[in-house]
This record gives sequence, C-alpha cells and structure tokens, in this order.
Amino acid sequence: MRPVKLRRQGEDQLVIEWSDGHVSVYHWRTLRAACPCATCREEREKPVDPLRVLSAQEVAALAAGPPRALSMTPVGHYAYQIHWSDGHATGIYTFETLRNLCECDACRRLREQAR
Amino acid sequence: MSHMPRGTPGLRGQQRVVLPGVRHTVAVASGKGGVGKSTVAANLALALAALHHRVGLLDADIYGPSIPIMFGLDTVDVATTRFPLEKFGIKLMSMGFIVQPDQAVIWRGPMVHKAVSQFLTEIPWGELDYLVIDLPPGTGDAQLTVTQTAPLTGAVIVTTPQDVSLIDARKGLRMFQQVHVPVLGIIENMSYFVCDQCGKRHDIFRHGGGERCAQELGVPFLGSLPLDPLVSIQGDQGIPIVQSHPDSPSGQAYRLLAQTVAHSLDEISKNLSQLPALE
Repeated sequence: MRPVKLRRQGEDQLVIEWSDGHVSVYHWRTLRAACPCATCREEREKPVDPLRVLSAQEVAALAAGPPRALSMTPVGHYAYQIHWSDGHATGIYTFETLRNLCECDACRRLREQAR
Repeated sequence: MSHMPRGTPGLRGQQRVVLPGVRHTVAVASGKGGVGKSTVAANLALALAALHHRVGLLDADIYGPSIPIMFGLDTVDVATTRFPLEKFGIKLMSMGFIVQPDQAVIWRGPMVHKAVSQFLTEIPWGELDYLVIDLPPGTGDAQLTVTQTAPLTGAVIVTTPQDVSLIDARKGLRMFQQVHVPVLGIIENMSYFVCDQCGKRHDIFRHGGGERCAQELGVPFLGSLPLDPLVSIQGDQGIPIVQSHPDSPSGQAYRLLAQTVAHSLDEISKNLSQLPALE
C-alpha cells in the first residue's frame, strides 16, 4: 500500500490516492496538528498551561494565519515530509500514519465504531 | 566536512534528486558487528564489476570505516583530491579517506547523518549500474539516513550461522521492512570451512542458521560464503579475494552471489515505481 497520486483540493485540503484504490482526504490543519516530529510530539504531551505567555514568534505566527503546506516530498520508500510556510519541515509522515489520519467518511465511521 | 565538494544547495520544499545516475542502490547490512559485512560488501562490489557492471562502493560506517584498508588505500589530501576515489575499477567513498586511521570519530548522531547525507548527495558518483552501501552494524543513525535519503532498490542482510547473530539479523530485517525497503535476502557468511588438506567441509559455527532464519522471516536465502583464511589475508593486504583469487572457492561463491543479487535487483526494480510528490 503506497500513494500513487497526491493533489490539493481547494485551499485547505489534500487528497491522496492509494495503490489499493482508497482515496484519502485531509485538512492540512489536521496534518499539522498531528505532526510526528519529536518537538511537536513533546508539545502535545505537555499539560495545558492556561497562564502561558506567548513568545513574540508565536504571536507573529498566529498573526500570519495557519501555516500553508508548500510541498510534500517522499522520504525513502515509506514516508512523506511536509514543508510548511512557517519553516517547519521535520515531521516524517509514514504511510501508516497518513492512513490512520485519513478524514474520509468511511475512515471516520470506522474510527468511531472502534471507540 | 566543509572541505567536501559542494553540490547543489538543498532547496526547501523541493526534493533533491539523489544519485541520479545510479540504476540500483543496494545496502549491505547486519544486525551485529563482526559478521564480515564490509568484506562481503567489498567482494560483492568487485564481483558485480567482474560481471562488467559499473560499480560504486560507499562506506557508511563513519565510526569504523574499513573499506580503505580492504582496497589498500589511505587518508588523502582533501584539498587536492576529487572524490570518489577509484580502485580496481570501482568508485569508492569512505570516512577513512578523510580521517587518519588512528584518529577516532567522536560524533553524535546529527553529525553522522550529515556525513552520510553528503556522501550520498554531494559526491559525484556519475553513471553507475550498482552502488553498494556498506552500512555499520545495528539500526542507528547511519541506517536511518541511508533509508531516508537514498533511493534504495534493496538490502541484503549478512549473518553468521550462530543464534546470537541470527537474532540481530532479524532486527536488521525488521528495520528495512518498517521503512519499506525490499530485502533481497540473507547471506550466511563464515558458513563452513573446507580443509585444504583433506577437502572435508567443516561447519564450525553450526549449519543452516541463515537458511532457517530466511525461511522463518519469509525472505530469500541468497547463499552461503565459506570461512576462508585467504579472504581475511587478502582484505588486510588491500586486494580483496575476488580481485586477487577470482577462481578460488570464495571468489566463485562471490561471483554466484553477485549474479543472484543482480537478478534480484532487476526483478525488484520492475515493481518499484517512484513515489509522487506534491509541489
């Protein structure tokens, strides 16, 4: 199972066509929120601090709006790297990760049933 | 590494074409050290060249490079030398050409990643039929960089017949499976010893472990290589056995192995399409 085609759908979505015929749809924000890089994982695991003061860079990033995906390039034979407009590019999204994040109706239903 | 030739600068958001003139890239790996992996990589490369192919050999063992010794080469003046070097008709690159043999490379992972990446992307390998990559033992930084950076056609796992070696071979195999690199199969090195007096075959480290391991893991068994004192003597003298004694039992075993590996790579590459990118 491997991607055979990648394309943008409107401003905010990615579509991946897989070798097994499945067509995955993603919002870029979903992919960014699930970034598998070590820094993002650590950030997600921290407890929420309601009194945290944003840094100047974080304020600037918020003012610039959500980061856009500039490109998505293969890593070896097993993953993709997304290059974001804010310079972040360390997340390696394996094929398995991408399939698990699929937001198509069928995959959503399967995940809900599994809960 | 600033003294290395500079290639095309990395372009953010675009995939750099890695090894554009290389038809097949094959990694030679092992789960543990001491199984003769570099010897196998060097002789496999020479055996492929003996079949009239254009071959390169990249030594990705940054901490313990052994390819220079096996090819009778030493540290070179990096200011005046163009890499890759060439010997016995094979293009070669190794950390051992840059760092003195008695100097230890004491680097953390990111530096190893940088060095291996530069070997892959900034060395002008040119047109090659096969680039053999001699990986360090284990499943660490160098392995990950090679699997992420190089368009590997496949990998071979070198093991010896003992259980302790086979356990680690499984780990190496799992690593390649996890990163979707096709495993061509398992090579059992130091498989048997043929007595030069009586001609009788002795299974010094037991027999059939590599074949059993391959069966268990569902990958092909590529062949057995004999334990031959001449192999290590020739390696130390800087002329690998395939070059010095091509018609010896070991030389013939390597030639057979090269034919098997070349055939497997051709078969695998038929089904290995390039992944699409999104610009």
